[in-house]
Amino acid sequence: MAGSFIVWLFAVSVAASALGGMLGMASGIFIVPLLTMFGHVEIHTAIGASIISVIPCSCGGAAPYLKNRLTNIRLAIVLETATTVGALTGVLLAGIVPVPYLYLLFAVILFLSAHQMLAGAVIRFLSPRTKRHAFGEIHCAWTRLIRIERLVAMSRCLISCASRTLRHAAHVWRRPDFSVIRYRSGVLKIPAMDTAMRLPLKVSSATSNFMIGVTAAASAGVYFMRGNIVTEIAGPVAFGSVLGAIMGARILLIVPNDKLRLLFAAILVVLGVQMLLTLFGVHLIKGSL
Amino acid sequence: MNRVWGLEELLAALLRYGSWSACAAIGLGFTLALIGSHLPARNPATMPHRIATMGIALIILLPILRVLLMFLVFIRERDFRFASISGLVLAIILAGIFFGLPSA
Repeated sequence: MAGSFIVWLFAVSVAASALGGMLGMASGIFIVPLLTMFGHVEIHTAIGASIISVIPCSCGGAAPYLKNRLTNIRLAIVLETATTVGALTGVLLAGIVPVPYLYLLFAVILFLSAHQMLAGAVIRFLSPRTKRHAFGEIHCAWTRLIRIERLVAMSRCLISCASRTLRHAAHVWRRPDFSVIRYRSGVLKIPAMDTAMRLPLKVSSATSNFMIGVTAAASAGVYFMRGNIVTEIAGPVAFGSVLGAIMGARILLIVPNDKLRLLFAAILVVLGVQMLLTLFGVHLIKGSL
Repeated sequence: MNRVWGLEELLAALLRYGSWSACAAIGLGFTLALIGSHLPARNPATMPHRIATMGIALIILLPILRVLLMFLVFIRERDFRFASISGLVLAIILAGIFFGLPSA
């Protein structure tokens, strides 16, 4: 490992984290593909580094949000009872579920979230009268889908942690279900809070960002104990992530919601396509470093 | 005191200074390693490597400390409902660390 590789890791992390922090999304979603495809880092090491990068990304980005009172702390701690259980379930399931299924599942989630975000953005650009007719169908389909997912997730929640608190937090429908893929929290949580709970995007973004740290720490503790976190990789990635997260949080306070949604949707589609291509063994870009 | 330092400000301060000190540790470790031209990978026992690993451990501890802080503040505010919720989150995380040890 050369010094230039550490600098490369650092640069990638700053860029990925600025984007992730801006979207309230875990930067691991960019970091794992980049590290494995271009850096030729072993997948478990890449996941370990991405989990670590997620925490300072969340914590670094959370401070400005907290000061601006954008974060709903009480909602966050209630939802965290489910997200931490989900994260631990994910750590256990990740060893059982075959990797191609994880890729497929992840690609599907990315497309679903992109569609959801895009529908919301387009609706706001149109006049209030036409939007209902044009997008009513899509919206109905989504509501149905979410309901099914909610049932599946709810049953799992009840099995894994049949507590009253958890039922109180039943809004967290999808979370434990898809937790097998470690770097998806933000992608799921923001649309979840945005559409299901009808919170403003900035509030759901800030609350999601706040929660991701604790969720990631639940998995990171296990990974650290198992020795899957390599200092040489995780260190530069984490360091770069903090700078990027703070940059992203500053930008979020300036950029309007609708433009953010479109950017968010576009990035999700690109990532979904990439995941599908990887699933079928197609490598459009073969990077070497 | 509590009015000046609301829960938001406390958490913001913890997360801000916590992340910066963790980053400073990692940055210091790798700067020392790059300057010394012997990278931590070749000799894991070196001081730079140890500093960077400490930073990473701090990163993992930071959210756990955050939940602990919320737990304590809720108890002090006699908000036992949310204190028990944060206690539950804390218990789940610690359970994962202690019972998740055997590798899959």
